[in-house]
Amino acid sequence: MAKEELEIEISPSGKVTARTIGIKGPRCLDLADLLARIVGHEESRTLTNEYYETEQHVADHLQIHQRQY
Amino acid sequence: MSTVVVLAPIIIANWPVITAAVGAAVGTMGFAMVRKEEAVTQRAATKTREEIQVDNSEILASSTGAEEEIVVEREGVRAIFTRDARGALRVCMEGTGQSKSELRRLGQELIDRVTQQYVYHRVVTELKARNMTIVDEELSEDRTVKIRVRSW
Repeated sequence: MAKEELEIEISPSGKVTARTIGIKGPRCLDLADLLARIVGHEESRTLTNEYYETEQHVADHLQIHQRQY
Repeated sequence: MSTVVVLAPIIIANWPVITAAVGAAVGTMGFAMVRKEEAVTQRAATKTREEIQVDNSEILASSTGAEEEIVVEREGVRAIFTRDARGALRVCMEGTGQSKSELRRLGQELIDRVTQQYVYHRVVTELKARNMTIVDEELSEDRTVKIRVRSW
């Protein structure tokens, strides 16, 4: 299983940049929301390819599942 | 990576939390706490002053109504942290041989360090309370704190 981590950088002025690593799908958004509640104002959020991987897996699974019928 | 989020800190804390953050931060810049009696007697001799209000801060009022002030000093430069009338954190810089802009620059650096300490403490405390584990932590040369966390 791929390593799942949260990487947090706190700059010298207190600004926070957080990256989820190995966490696929919307679960990584929950962590981003949690950090936003802890730290303060959200300036930006970027979704990378990995975010969409689970949705693709689900889609693949549905296709296979549908083929069985 | 799946998500990258950038967050600007907001300080919302009571005075003891601010005191802890100031204490931890100013030591890294060579400042030392000044006792209350000394702070009062020496203030009149100061020549230059610069006040900086900390944006995005809210200091919760004390239930005792006690005056809240932290004074720190380094080589004749003094920084006085207080809660202003609107409840925000304010820093008054005082010195005898410095310009206002020098005092402002130094004051902003102090505020940044205090903010970083506050954010670090809050992040670590809140994540540990949610049973997350810090697996690695380092301070880089530019003073960025890097933390790696696992919870699953």
